[in-house]
Amino acid sequence: MIKIVKRDQPSKAIFFFTPVLAIFLTLLAGGIIFYILGFKPFEALKFFFIVPIADKYGFSELLLKATPLCLIAIGLSFCFKSNNWNIGAEGQLTFGAIVSGGVALLFYDQKGFYILPIVILAGAIGGMIYASIPAILKTYFNTNEILVSLMLVYVSKLILDYLVVGPWSNPEGFNFPETRQFSDSARLPLLFEGLRIHAGIFLALAAVVISWFVFYKTYLGFQMKVSGFSLKTAKYAGYKGKKMIILVFLISGACAGLAGVGEITGPIGQLHREVSPDYGFTAIIVAFLGRLHPVGIIFASLVVAITYLGAETAQIFMQIPKYTGQVFQGMILFFLLASDYLLFFKFKFIGSKK
Amino acid sequence: MNTNLKISNVTKIYPGCVANDDVSLEFNSGKIYALLGENGAGKSTLVKILSGVVIPDEGKIYLNKNILKLNSPSDAKKNDIGMVFQHFNLFETLSVFENLIIDSGEQRENLKEKIDTIMKKYNFSVDLDVPVLNLSAGQKQKVEIIRCLIRSPKVLIMDEPTSVLTEQETSELFLSLKKFSEEGILIIYITHKLKEVMQLCDEVAVMRRGKLVSVSQINNENIESLANKMVGQDLKTIKKKKENTSSEQLIKITNLNFTSEDPFETNLIDINFSLNRGECLGIAGISGNGQSELFQVLSGEIISNKNSIEFNKNFIGDLNPQERREYLMAFSPEDRLEQAAIPQMAIFENVALNNFKSSNFFNNGLINESKIKEHSKKIISEFNVNTDNIDLKSQFLSGGNLQKLIIGRELITSPDLLICFNPTWGLDVGAINYIHETLIKINEQNKSIILISTDTDELLKLSDKISVIHRGKLSKIMNAEDVTSEKLGILMGGGN
Repeated sequence: MIKIVKRDQPSKAIFFFTPVLAIFLTLLAGGIIFYILGFKPFEALKFFFIVPIADKYGFSELLLKATPLCLIAIGLSFCFKSNNWNIGAEGQLTFGAIVSGGVALLFYDQKGFYILPIVILAGAIGGMIYASIPAILKTYFNTNEILVSLMLVYVSKLILDYLVVGPWSNPEGFNFPETRQFSDSARLPLLFEGLRIHAGIFLALAAVVISWFVFYKTYLGFQMKVSGFSLKTAKYAGYKGKKMIILVFLISGACAGLAGVGEITGPIGQLHREVSPDYGFTAIIVAFLGRLHPVGIIFASLVVAITYLGAETAQIFMQIPKYTGQVFQGMILFFLLASDYLLFFKFKFIGSKK
Repeated sequence: MNTNLKISNVTKIYPGCVANDDVSLEFNSGKIYALLGENGAGKSTLVKILSGVVIPDEGKIYLNKNILKLNSPSDAKKNDIGMVFQHFNLFETLSVFENLIIDSGEQRENLKEKIDTIMKKYNFSVDLDVPVLNLSAGQKQKVEIIRCLIRSPKVLIMDEPTSVLTEQETSELFLSLKKFSEEGILIIYITHKLKEVMQLCDEVAVMRRGKLVSVSQINNENIESLANKMVGQDLKTIKKKKENTSSEQLIKITNLNFTSEDPFETNLIDINFSLNRGECLGIAGISGNGQSELFQVLSGEIISNKNSIEFNKNFIGDLNPQERREYLMAFSPEDRLEQAAIPQMAIFENVALNNFKSSNFFNNGLINESKIKEHSKKIISEFNVNTDNIDLKSQFLSGGNLQKLIIGRELITSPDLLICFNPTWGLDVGAINYIHETLIKINEQNKSIILISTDTDELLKLSDKISVIHRGKLSKIMNAEDVTSEKLGILMGGGN
């Protein structure tokens, strides 16, 4: 007989093994789905996961998609590690894009080295402002940050919609729902001729290093860690729990805002209705798949970025909707949560009484 | 019809704690039974077993001589066992009626009729159409009781029902309970309030540390005898050697009040006391009478009026724990695993929780790991913590070793005052002795202690002065030599 018993303590090995297991199970389930749809499973998976990154251009696209995912997930890891469930990164990204886009539009016909830093800063501040709303409501009015941050996503998208259709729409743009193109001085420089990968990747890498440093080397990080494990202990140690909550929201808002900047000043170059293919939501999966660890998040963002690319390739070569990508993202999260069960429980094979 | 409920040799073991140790009890309808014990005595586990929430490791339950299989709460309902928990299980935003219909399995009209009859019969008045969040605690409890009565239960279990009620609501509840009992419902009343037991119940069973200590008729008991049974008093009066304590005042509490928004917390009313250097003030009481709130107010987890706490000639009532530490106070909370330490973090990280400016654990905002580790090693060797690996997660320390680490962490900085709350709770004899010796030693070094404890033995052994906390009020402060356990028993039960 097989019996499920609780582990005395979560297993360290399993902790790092389950993300790998989850990816494997996702591939397996994906293969089965493709088979049922009438495709050859291995070929389909190859189209999905290998073909898109087989050349230089594909690899650049992979990094392009992984950049915002990594950046947002790093920010979210601060929230999630301290038990603050900010799931509105998509809204913070959008609002960061709005603010930085607005600033970039002010300079649309100007040139200067100072423009880009101002635009980037504006994006971070925009994200912070937007993240501060759920944070303040949570700390001072006891609202649930999950609901507030989620609902604010839709608010920010509607604001963006209004702006690009109305006051900010390009006067010479034949009423298309988009703004003017930004000045070249407001654009993140491309790293290689002919590829879309841009300097935003350095922002993401900097975030990785800084977050690792803050979390593992500073008093601030120590306080966040303690507050995350137990607010009672934080109170006993004399840490300011409320400030800590607002701080982690601000950090994650800034990261999401920067991801927004990266999109509009990188590949897009203007504001329009869709500044992000739900990077803010997908980054939640990335954060957990990466075990909320900076290095883990780098790998996770690359893995999840493939699903975006794979979906596009699959749409072109196999005529299946690109939403398949979301199916894969959903499966990864599902299998990750399911295999996390193994962290706390183990199977025990028993013949006789213990 | 008569109802007979029998608990036979029930044992439930949780990792590291025997919640119920071979408990056997028998109840008959027509009487009100009290199940008495301190927090952690095993009452709640027993009740959870009866209501199907927890499955016992061993033992059986019989209802009218038939074995009951209680694998889930719905099994208990099916077998006519009704249960009103201390924390209400109601949907705040739904109306009273909606709450009642959810799992009743009745038609709307039938149910309405049934509720009307119940309300008339017992003189309840609750508006069925208002959302539950608008009800007072007493009314919410009535909704819970009605929910049980709809199923016409044979057994009704009340878990600490008066902790959120006013005096008025309490006496109403007692009238209803007596009426239910007359109608043949078997009532089991769980509490740690002695007065209520004397007022309401016919028979009383006392539990302590998972074991059933006694079962007796209420006529043969009084508040003191029950209090003694509850806290396990064996009337030993070992006291520490009386040293010449100084007459220099260290801490003075003046008119300190605390009013909580949470109905499950106890308000502190007009606390006044002072303590000299080298003295130990023991604060006795049955748990749940405001000890936790008092500890938090003293440690600074709850901030109070600046002038209400004078420590070493400074007014510090408005400072947080970290700021109070700078004035040389130290704190050891009751809950080792949830508050005093973080089990998932390494020993040295837990040491860093007690952080002084002068300890230099954190320089310019950076963690100074080698400093913390050096300090941790010192604590481990000076306070006999049985490990030499400071990178070990503290969850792997035994309770005794963890408590030594915590006390060591607090004492190594040689504070003027240590405030500790149940420092030996759940420890084995060896660790208890070690902690007691340590506490006596720091008194001898002219440092002071405020010892909040539910263990009367411990208080009599260590204290110079003793006061009793009851319902958030402190009794007058007595010299430990003049205190007898009988006197403490009376005061703990709310007598004079």
